[in-house]
Amino acid sequence: MSAILRSHAEQLFAQELEELQKQDSGKRPANWKLTPQAVVTYLIGGKLKNGFEITPKYIGSRRLMEIAVATLTTDRALLLYGLPGTAKSWVSEHLSAAVSGDSTMIIQGTAGTSEESIRYGWNYARLLAEGPSENALVETPVMRAMKEGKIVRIEELTRIGADVQDTLITILSEKTLPVPELNTEVQAVKGFNVIATANNRDKGVNDLSSALKRRFNTVILPVPDSMDEEIDIVRRRVESYEKTMELPAEKPALEEIRRIVTIFRELRSGVTLDGKTKIKVPSGTLSTAEAISVVNNGLAMAGYFGDGQLKAADLAAGVIGAVVKDPVQDKVVWQEYLETVVKPRDAWKDIYRACRDLI
Amino acid sequence: MATHILGIRHHGPGSATNVKQFLEKLKPDIILVEGPPDADGILEWVGHEELKPPVAILAYQPDQVQQAVFYPFAEFSPEWQAIQYARKNKIHVRFMDLPLAHRFALDNEKKEQEAAKEKVATPDTGEAPSLNHNAWRNAAEEVTEAAAITEIRRNPLSWLAAAAGFEDDEKWWEHMFEHRQHNEQVFEAVQEAMQALRDALPQKDDRDEQLREAYMRKIIRQAEKEMFPEIAVICGAWHAPALTGMPSQKADNELLKGLPKVKVECTWTPWSYNRLSYYSGYGAGIGSPGWYEHVWKHPNDDGTRWMAGVAKLFRKKDMDTSVAHVIEAVRLAESLASLRELPKAGLEELNEATLSVLCNGENILLRLIEDELIVSNKMGAVPTETPKPPLQVDIEKQQKKLRLPASADWKDYILDLRKENDLERSIFLHRLQLLELKWAYKSDISGKGTFKEQWRLQWDPAFTIDIIEKGTWGNTAAEAATRYVIKQAAEAAELKTVSTLLENAMPAELPGAVQVLIERLNNLSAASGDVIQLMEVIPALVNISRYGNVRKTDAALVTDIVTGMITRICVSLPNACTGIADDAAQALLELFFKMNDAVNVLQQPEVTTQWQQCLQNIATNPHTAPVIAGYTTRLLADYKLLEGEPLIQAFYFAMSTATAPAIAAAWLEGFLKGSGTLLLIDINLWSVVNSWVAQLDDATFTQVLPLLRRTFANFTASERRKLGEKVKNGGSSTAGTPVTDGNFDADRARKGLPVVMLLLGYPQPEGGNT
Repeated sequence: MSAILRSHAEQLFAQELEELQKQDSGKRPANWKLTPQAVVTYLIGGKLKNGFEITPKYIGSRRLMEIAVATLTTDRALLLYGLPGTAKSWVSEHLSAAVSGDSTMIIQGTAGTSEESIRYGWNYARLLAEGPSENALVETPVMRAMKEGKIVRIEELTRIGADVQDTLITILSEKTLPVPELNTEVQAVKGFNVIATANNRDKGVNDLSSALKRRFNTVILPVPDSMDEEIDIVRRRVESYEKTMELPAEKPALEEIRRIVTIFRELRSGVTLDGKTKIKVPSGTLSTAEAISVVNNGLAMAGYFGDGQLKAADLAAGVIGAVVKDPVQDKVVWQEYLETVVKPRDAWKDIYRACRDLI
Repeated sequence: MATHILGIRHHGPGSATNVKQFLEKLKPDIILVEGPPDADGILEWVGHEELKPPVAILAYQPDQVQQAVFYPFAEFSPEWQAIQYARKNKIHVRFMDLPLAHRFALDNEKKEQEAAKEKVATPDTGEAPSLNHNAWRNAAEEVTEAAAITEIRRNPLSWLAAAAGFEDDEKWWEHMFEHRQHNEQVFEAVQEAMQALRDALPQKDDRDEQLREAYMRKIIRQAEKEMFPEIAVICGAWHAPALTGMPSQKADNELLKGLPKVKVECTWTPWSYNRLSYYSGYGAGIGSPGWYEHVWKHPNDDGTRWMAGVAKLFRKKDMDTSVAHVIEAVRLAESLASLRELPKAGLEELNEATLSVLCNGENILLRLIEDELIVSNKMGAVPTETPKPPLQVDIEKQQKKLRLPASADWKDYILDLRKENDLERSIFLHRLQLLELKWAYKSDISGKGTFKEQWRLQWDPAFTIDIIEKGTWGNTAAEAATRYVIKQAAEAAELKTVSTLLENAMPAELPGAVQVLIERLNNLSAASGDVIQLMEVIPALVNISRYGNVRKTDAALVTDIVTGMITRICVSLPNACTGIADDAAQALLELFFKMNDAVNVLQQPEVTTQWQQCLQNIATNPHTAPVIAGYTTRLLADYKLLEGEPLIQAFYFAMSTATAPAIAAAWLEGFLKGSGTLLLIDINLWSVVNSWVAQLDDATFTQVLPLLRRTFANFTASERRKLGEKVKNGGSSTAGTPVTDGNFDADRARKGLPVVMLLLGYPQPEGGNT
């Protein structure tokens, strides 16, 4: 096993991509590694003609993935929008891995992201020594992706300041990046496109200008529809995590995952699963991604400090940490939930006790 | 000589195109269409330029109008295209389904049987409704039954769809047959597919189905016998195989022998796309009539025209949509289609593209497209000369004259009754309301006086049935409404019903009906021993007499009755107020309240005196329920008939310690009902109440507290607050005796003066700081 903590999608699923490429006979858009159909199969999973099993990367609506892939075949960019933890970045990583075979062209959007990190920067030592030249130019992922005809990912687009965001307009509409200092430009090679992600929970973000918005097709990634879907997601992700982290714990029982997902879904929707009891909703988003990390955390606890079996006590700390984001209000919400919903459930006595001890 | 069976999907634009092309190529000599032969007579109207689809054939049993069926046709219905072709080329066209004369009769029989042996729920049709039968029935039970069927038995098409890898059989059919550009042998293919289905699926022994198909075969045989060389048969795809493999004529005749029969009448009626969609519970309904029309009109559109329509709609709703948006959306729809390996972008791809490009992923905006474009509220029209029941003709004439078009979208009208046209509109709408036609809803309008009315109008094609049903009452709206009201009045046993009718008949200007209603009211009120019933109707009747002013109706008649009724009330009311339970007393109190208002509105000195006398009787009668006694005392005080010392006397008498506290408190509740302000302003009343409360001992006070609370809870919050403040100030906040202790700080008090003056609305004292 390699010493890398987390491999890129194209490395982790190299075999799948290779098999898909072998089976793939349709017409590919220029510079795409796979046909659009194969990209969708890669994301949604399925069985190839030769019996090779493709694992699902995104568990949810196939239509959404189709829209996303179809968008990349047009000259519009793709904007994945949704609550934190709804697999936006995950989808964008796998999309670029499947389309360009490279998910490393990435810009993390922050309030401090400057124009230089989107367009190009300068190596000032060189600039002073040699004057403006190609050698003194520092390429950004956007510029490289344009040159190589690949997908570039921009994470948290709405966190970037509005003025900086708008530098993308020329890139997206004219597909060119002028370098006036050298009196040249970089024209995008076919296959170039942008996948941006943004979340609609945070306040104080910079909304896209309508000129920029017009250059994106929006796909909203929803929270999982059904209980089973969500359990499936958590289970798969936890299993793959176990593998990479080499945890000494046993595989988690489906029952434990079900309980965690139940707690998350109930608190998220503000009503118990049977629809009978109203619950206060805590301030956190309680996304599926958080459920996954709670289970992972529990596994680590069980492996290193427990008896290797995932128990309620191992999960309790993680659950509380995920739910109680605001120490005053959320704590009340959580205690109320604990006393009114968790306590009366017969099979949940252990988790009730474990959580009560911690508060 | 040959018979060509064309299996179609009802309201399928692709089927319609195929049928049209097929007919133009074949040039048949007669066309047989699945539909009720009872309506053969009215087929001649097809081709009339004023008959604009969507329209429906309405067939009904004249002596039992609720037994009615609609056969809707849109422009893109294959049947419509076939009939139009026949009319244009002047060849024979006939309907060939089992005549409704038999079906209604069978239905009636079945209902009787069911009624006889309780309810045995056996749904009778089980096939894909859109391929089988396109009749739309108005009965609610039909709809629920249909829903049950789909659950019980899977739609046979879904087997084929599943085999082809589609989740949805509608979508499968659309892609296989409707969106097809080339139509060679499509009908053979459909027939084969259906044959396979019919063979593979266990056939339910369904008499209705067998009868229908037997009758279809009978008509085909007849056409063959008449030596038409080329016969084209248009029928739901499901039936196609049954019509090719002809069983022996004898078996069919045997089956059809001795069917019961009833009289059936048919006519054309306008229909709407909304009613054509399955949301309205129509069995052969389609999800997207607006889209189908688009596909029919622009078969070669790649989505551009549709998207342009979407953009236009968005702009109309003030949402910025550029041409670039449209271009991008069409492109995305196309790439989606190619990703899904479809030859052409369908509604689904276009919707998804719209969602992603135009709506920024927000689902809500798609609802707008759904309502306005995909279903759309288009309504058809029929020529004025089509055979129609006279009542309908009259209603349509009035609609035209008064410019109140029947549209499927709702629209609000504000009528100013002082204007001639608006008054006529209001009269017309009131008449239709009396006929229980749910076209118009009157809503309250605030602050505009009695001369304004607000109506919300929304037409539903199914009203035709109601109109036909009410047609038995008369040939014009006025006549029918009059007779219908008279009939209801004759059946009414309660004063309230009659007075409500009268209240509605007055603004509908039906003098004949009003006359009868008034007589009826008079008779009923004379016979009625129940004073409460009388009191219930008085406010409404007084309202009517008030209406007379604007409405130019003769209100004097009503006023006479009202005075007569009030006399009766005044005679028997005092007795009605004695010996009743608390609840009944409370109910009566409400009536008193309204009754008193009504008497005040009437403004007839004679009546008022009578009423006041009656009140006096009630107030002084020691057996009157305490709440009512209290309230009447208050009313008398309001009329200034009881003032000063006598009022205090009456109050102390009622509140005296000898009276049980509960009774005293009830009296007080009545006395103070609904007027906290009175207590605030009238210093005498205040001191009376205040001193009474003050002199209660602790135990008694605790006992009456809940009752007092109940009284005071009815006052508004601000009244209560002011009352509380007044109590705090010892009743001296507004007036009363000033407390001159001499021990207060005059300087500090002066500082507060400007504020107090400001609060009381007096001008600022000179030199006062603000």
